[in-house]
Amino acid sequence: MSEPGPAKSSPAQADIAAMAGAIERAAADLALTEEPSNFEVALERGAPRD
Amino acid sequence: MTDLTLTELASAIAARKVSAVEATQACLDRIARLDGRLHAFLTVDAPGALARARSLDADLASGTRRGPLHGVPLAYKDLFHVVGLPTSCGTKTTEYFRSDHDSTAVARLTAAGAVTLGKLNMTELALGPFGDNPHHGNVDNPWKAGCISGGSSSGSGAAVAAQLAFGALGSDTGGSIRLPAACCGIVGLKPTYGRVSRAGAMALSWALDHLGPMTRTVGDCALMFELIAGHDPRDGTSSRRPVPAVLAGLDAPLSGLRLGLPENYYFDGVTPEVKAAVEAAARGLQARGARVAPLRLPDPAGIVDVCNVLARAESAVIHSRVLRERPHELGAAVRARLEIGLHVSAHDYLQAGRLRARLAREFVGEVFGEVDAILTPAIPEPPPELAAVTAGAVEEIVRRMGRFSRLTRPFNGLGLPVLAVPCGMSSDGRPLGLQIVGRPFDEATIFRLGQAVEQASPRRALRD
Repeated sequence: MSEPGPAKSSPAQADIAAMAGAIERAAADLALTEEPSNFEVALERGAPRD
Repeated sequence: MTDLTLTELASAIAARKVSAVEATQACLDRIARLDGRLHAFLTVDAPGALARARSLDADLASGTRRGPLHGVPLAYKDLFHVVGLPTSCGTKTTEYFRSDHDSTAVARLTAAGAVTLGKLNMTELALGPFGDNPHHGNVDNPWKAGCISGGSSSGSGAAVAAQLAFGALGSDTGGSIRLPAACCGIVGLKPTYGRVSRAGAMALSWALDHLGPMTRTVGDCALMFELIAGHDPRDGTSSRRPVPAVLAGLDAPLSGLRLGLPENYYFDGVTPEVKAAVEAAARGLQARGARVAPLRLPDPAGIVDVCNVLARAESAVIHSRVLRERPHELGAAVRARLEIGLHVSAHDYLQAGRLRARLAREFVGEVFGEVDAILTPAIPEPPPELAAVTAGAVEEIVRRMGRFSRLTRPFNGLGLPVLAVPCGMSSDGRPLGLQIVGRPFDEATIFRLGQAVEQASPRRALRD
């Protein structure tokens, strides 16, 4: 049985390639210290001061 | 009786002017009368709801009020687990999602005295903004037959707008609370990421999922928010930050609040009627003392790319079993969207998570140094006809989905709180909606602004 997924050269494949390209370009200058959990830190630090 | 707001009904029950049984029966009668067209409910638990209402009436007669929602009938999107009721998540499989516990949000509402009427229709696996469902029927727009109800919390939007329930819960991964709220002319809150526990609700994307209330008024929404928000040890992403008393500050003056109207992206391609309605709401807020100014926001393209990668990868993993074993059971557009996620690399997924952190930090720092909240349309046009948006090839339908949810999706990636509020009707009687975006964990300010928008644009009565 073949793996489910878009056929080669389908519009979906083009979407995947476009997504990957966009992420790669934007991530090129990320700091070494950047990690996904900094997202929650950003929210906590941006909260109104009580 | 069903035209009372949730808050009015709760007060009437507390004053023993109305019983919980009367309120519940009124909703059940209305469901029986109207839901043949709307398709808002998947499960109506009439015996369970009436038994619960009788028990609550007996409690009140003996002097016990369970909480602020004592006797108020609510209903829940069919991805919230409620013990004893099936949870299909909008799929063909009746018990797609199982849990030993009620979802935390439902449990908290029940503890506050709510009556569970049943479970609400939704787009299959919460993937899609139009409210169509190939297995359970398309949810119709209560205001304009044949137009979309918005999705994916389509049943929640329609049930509340059509007064089949006094309030509902929905989920929002890319706009799925705000889009049906706007399309159905009601209020919906996507809280800050981490503010409302997601335990016991089906996930679509751990990074982007948010759960929240949908109601007919801002005050009702604030009440439900206060009850469901707050730390939950069952959800690892749940914030420990205390929940502010948002209800108490709803009518506070707006003087001193700074409000931004985006100059870029959020009004691009929006119909003139929607644009005029949002600008009129902004003028109304200005007249109440808020300072409104144009504002250039960071380009949302980056966070939208991040959302696409995170949502596709995570949803494909979460639903890999149905995709692998029973793909023929899925609707064509849902299957196509899930399958893309199987091909997202681990490298891109992790880079997207890192990028998200930077983009959120930059957005919060840049934007909320200038303003306290942002005002944008919630939907780019009045709810379109369902037949028009679901016609054609799958790829074209998926592109339309992306266009319709383009104004809501960036804020899932950014994790910010957003309140969708009605802001009038189109010339042919379709609802228009705006969204108010706040700084992280500042739901109080967006509720306050939403209350002022609502007061300037009174709710219209829905004719059956």
